[in-house]
Formats: sequence, C-alpha cells, structure tokens
Amino acid sequence: MKIRGRRIAPGRAAGDALASPVPFSFVGGADPVTGKILDPSTGIAGERLAGSIFAFPHGKGSTVGSYMIYGLAKREVGPAGIVNASAEGIVAVGAILAGIPMVDRIDTAGLRTGDRILLDGDRGTVELPGVRATPVVTAVLRNRGRILIVRRSEKVGSFRGRWSAISGHLEGREDPKTRAIQEVREETGLRGLSFLAAGAPILARNDATMYLVHPFLFDVSSRHIRLDWENVEHRWVRSEELDRFQTVPRLKDVVAAVLR
Amino acid sequence: MRLTPAQRRLRDEGTQSQRKAMQILLALGGLSEAERLVPITSAHVSGASYKMIGDPGLEFLEDFARDARVAVPTTVNPLGTDLAQWKELGIPPDFAEKQARIARAYATMGVRPSFSCTPYLIGVRPGLGEHVAWAESNAVCFANSVLGARTNREGGPSALAAAIVGATPEYGLHTDEGRKPTTVVRVTTKPRGLDFSLIGLVAGERVGEGLPYFRGFRGTEEDLKWLGAALASTGSCGMFHLDGVTPEAHRAPTRGLPSMTITRRDLVAAKRSYTDGDEADVIALGSPQLSEQEVRKIAQRVERTPPRIPVWVFTSRTVKDANLEAVGIIERHGGRVLADTCLEVTLLEHRFGTVATPSGKGAYYLPSLCKQKVILDDIDRLLERYA
Repeated sequence: MKIRGRRIAPGRAAGDALASPVPFSFVGGADPVTGKILDPSTGIAGERLAGSIFAFPHGKGSTVGSYMIYGLAKREVGPAGIVNASAEGIVAVGAILAGIPMVDRIDTAGLRTGDRILLDGDRGTVELPGVRATPVVTAVLRNRGRILIVRRSEKVGSFRGRWSAISGHLEGREDPKTRAIQEVREETGLRGLSFLAAGAPILARNDATMYLVHPFLFDVSSRHIRLDWENVEHRWVRSEELDRFQTVPRLKDVVAAVLR
Repeated sequence: MRLTPAQRRLRDEGTQSQRKAMQILLALGGLSEAERLVPITSAHVSGASYKMIGDPGLEFLEDFARDARVAVPTTVNPLGTDLAQWKELGIPPDFAEKQARIARAYATMGVRPSFSCTPYLIGVRPGLGEHVAWAESNAVCFANSVLGARTNREGGPSALAAAIVGATPEYGLHTDEGRKPTTVVRVTTKPRGLDFSLIGLVAGERVGEGLPYFRGFRGTEEDLKWLGAALASTGSCGMFHLDGVTPEAHRAPTRGLPSMTITRRDLVAAKRSYTDGDEADVIALGSPQLSEQEVRKIAQRVERTPPRIPVWVFTSRTVKDANLEAVGIIERHGGRVLADTCLEVTLLEHRFGTVATPSGKGAYYLPSLCKQKVILDDIDRLLERYA
C-alpha cells in the first residue's frame, strides 16, 4: 500500500521501520556515536537507527537535536529515512542538513517496528509493500455534544459485535466524503447532514490488512435513526465514554482526528 | 510558496550550502504555511557555545563553512568562554580549542565575531517594520517589542539559513496578525530594578505561547531588556506590548481579550521560588550581557561597597574594550569582566556552586544548564549583603 503525506526533506530510502509511539528528542534520546536508541519510553531502546526508517509522532527538546541528526548521518549510524505525524523545526532542519529523506502527515501509530517501508521524500509518500490497504470512510455524527456509535451485526465481514462509528468501504476512485454521506444515509436513514471537518487518514492495523480510515465529522439535527442490517444497536455517547466500549481498532483516534 | 526568480536560482543552482539553506527555509515555511520568503536586513545566529552545541554542532559548522557565506550583516551569540582569558578561568584546553574552532567557522562564513546576545546594544538596531531573522530569545523579544522590527523566534540553523539566503519565511511575528496581543496583563505595583525580571518570569509562566499586552507601568529600554529576557525564558513569547511605551502598543487591539493581574505579592513569590541557594560563591551579572551604562554603574557600586565575594560581569567585547576604566575598577575589587561569553552558556559550574544574580533569565536557566543553585535578588541588595 502507498500513503500520501507531505514532503519535508528530499530523496528516497528503503528500510525496516523502527516505530516509537512517543515524541522523540535526538538530544539524549540516541547515542551520538553508535546511533543506538537510549530513550526507554520509545519501547525500542537498544535498537540501532542505522539503515532504518525511523517513525515517531514528532520531535521535541533542544534545537541542538538538528546537529545531532547531522552527526549521526555523518558517522553513517543515522536512520535512512524519517517519518513523522507532524514535523516540527528541529527534526525537519536536522533531516535536511543530514540529507535524510523525510515525510510527514503520516499516521505513525499505524506503523510497526519491522515493517518494510519505501519512503519517497520527493513525492511525500510512504509505501508498505507487504501490507494490503483497505480504504474506508468513517463518519462521526454529532448531535448536541454526543456522537453516534453502533454495534456491528454478525452478518458483516469484519469486527462483528464491536462498536464503531458509521463506516464503509471506499471503492475505486470514489470521493471519500460522498461515500461517507452515502453510508450515513444507508445505515441510519439520516439526511441533511452538515459537514464540519475531515481529518488526516488514520491507519488502523489488523494483521496484514491496513485500514486506511478517512474520518469525517457531521452535525445532524435529529437523534432519531433507523438501523439497517449492518448494525444491531446504537448509542449516543460523549467522546470520553468511548473507553468503556469494545470498539473497532483506533476508533478513539479517528474521533479525535475530527473533534478538536 | 511563491519564490522570486533569484530565490529559485539559489534553490536549484546555488552552492551546496545555499541549496540546503533554501531547503530549510522552504520546509519551515511549509510547516507554518508561509506564502513567501521576505527579504531581511540582518540576521543573528545562536549556537556558538561549545558547551551548548558540543561536537555535533562544531562538526556541522566546520563542514558548512566550506562554502557557506552570509548574504546579509550577521551577528552571533556568545561563546562558551572568553577566548582572551580561558587559561586564567581554568577552562580545559580541549574545550578552548574546540570553542576557537567554532568561532573560526563562523568567521569563515562572514559572520561578525560579535559573540553577543545583545546585538541591539552594539549597533544592530533594525527600525520599525524592518524584517530580520534573529535567534536568541531575548534579542528577538527586544527587536520585536522595543524596536518594532519583525522576527520570529528563530533557532540557530534557521537563522543561519536565512542569513545565507537573505530572506526568511513570512509568517507569525512578520505579519500584522501575528503581532496582535492575546492577553492583557495589568501590573498593579510600581516596578524598579529586579522587578522587571520578576514581571517577565511571572507573565511568561502564565501566558505561555501568547503575546502579552502590559499595562500599569513604565520602563526604560534597559528595564524592558530584563523584562523581555525573562518573559522569553519562562514563556515562548517573542514579543510584548507595553501601553504608552512600546512603538506598536497604540495600535494593538485589546478589546475583548482575557486579562490577568500581577501584584507585588506575585513578584515576591516569584523571587522566592527562583531562589534555592543559601550562600553565594559569586555575584554574576549578565544573561543578557550588560550595556555600557550598566557596566559603568556596577563599577561605581563596587567601588562604593567593595564585595567580599567575586563579582563577575558578562558583556560584549565591544563594550568591554570601550570601558577599560570601569573594567579596571571591577577587577581591582576581586571581580572579573568576561567578554565573548555569557552567564549560562559559559563554563562556570566547575568553580562556583551557588550563584547570586539579578537576572530572571539567569535564575531560570542556571539550575538546569549549569546544575547551580541560585539566589535571585536586586543588585544593590546583593552588594549590601556581601559587602
């Protein structure tokens, strides 16, 4: 699968991913001589950056971090490429100085350590050759501060019995927003949605399948809905309550991507 | 981003460092959704102290200096020691040697060897509305607030990239929108001396990334230097307005903004909270470097009340060389005047455990950057206490 992000530093790289779930500081976070990751909160301490595609949400800490990245690359112990969810100045400048290809606006939480990755810093894309992409849309419907979740029936193809927002597969080249509106109509009977926001795609992993979730937020004027065969139950909940439900993967992040 | 033909040429056909500099500006401009690069009249770069940037920084600067040349007048921040008296200071030779190499790399790039965090005190004074690219948070705050020039809070590499290209991405404090205040801060006590640092410390903590509009007091340029330095330390502020004093205050919209109050009690509490030392080993004056008037005033005070612990004064080489009489007085009373360096970026921790200072910025950074204990107090009270 190929995901489109934004180009930060030019060049192309291929390698296995090292994925940190937490923001990273190159000052103190990695050994400047060996390129070994030191920060235990990354969950990958002890791994070496050399040759990897290093994925983390964003940089943090001192601006000396830019020089650290340069030094790692010069010693040939730095990463081959960098992927961020949202780039900031320290890492972006460091990658450019070091000549390390970099892309951002990629949901790094969907990448796993060991994933094979092809990164294209000229086009701003990230490709995972071993992973099949299933593009889907998710429509978060909101009414007076509460959002709609539905429990998936036993007849659907995936995540049976789990709680989800209104969602559906995206076919071919169809427009995600149009598909989202269509799904809402079919699964709830609601019309007259007012569109509020679209979020950057979220990567929800289920073994070798990667759901590329396009999140949307709509306001609806009524809580009166009519379910079709895909769902068996519905609730209007506050977003903080999602933790109490057994949901499809990353529903909370999908909701957070559009509810700010 | 829209580029001029000249900027496009730099990006595509420039030297290696010009192309890198363009890439940096384009990436940073892209992150902040700037539409163009705006020409600048000066740059001020940070990242010159070996203590702060270490071997990675030294290595980068030496490599970069091979073909990087600045395109506009550029000054640079203080070094990690005074290169003229490092031996007397007990600085390890390896440190001094690497520090000298950093200074040479900047000189090779055409950067003026100012080694000062106060370019505005040594003749670099951009006017109202003039665009510049300055790193060093206190200088940024002074340029925006007191001079009315326009600069974002640049980092070392981004200011250097702007210096090489002669332009910087136009966003944030370069735009009218980005210079609007976000919070009104009413000060209900009449500040003097140390109080300006304390107001800055308290306001920065409370305003965070905002842009404060102060009311209720007046101050000289010197006072506002101390206020801004402290404000830019505890907050990520690059600018403030002061009602009736700073040049853009009269047209800054304040209606409907959230407001807060700073009282005498807040200042007393701040002074206490930034003091964790009992007995000082040195009185250190800097952070930012002292002006000519401040150096002379210290000399007079030291002569009047000779201190029993050393008084170290940090200033620029320009100011030191022009005030040798005052320097002589301070040194005769057991003190030192250090040039080319400043309080928290210098190697000081091997000599003194507890530092007394009237600098809010110094009090904020010394515990973390130098692992030192601090006594934050007014200079007159410190000289009385250690007489």
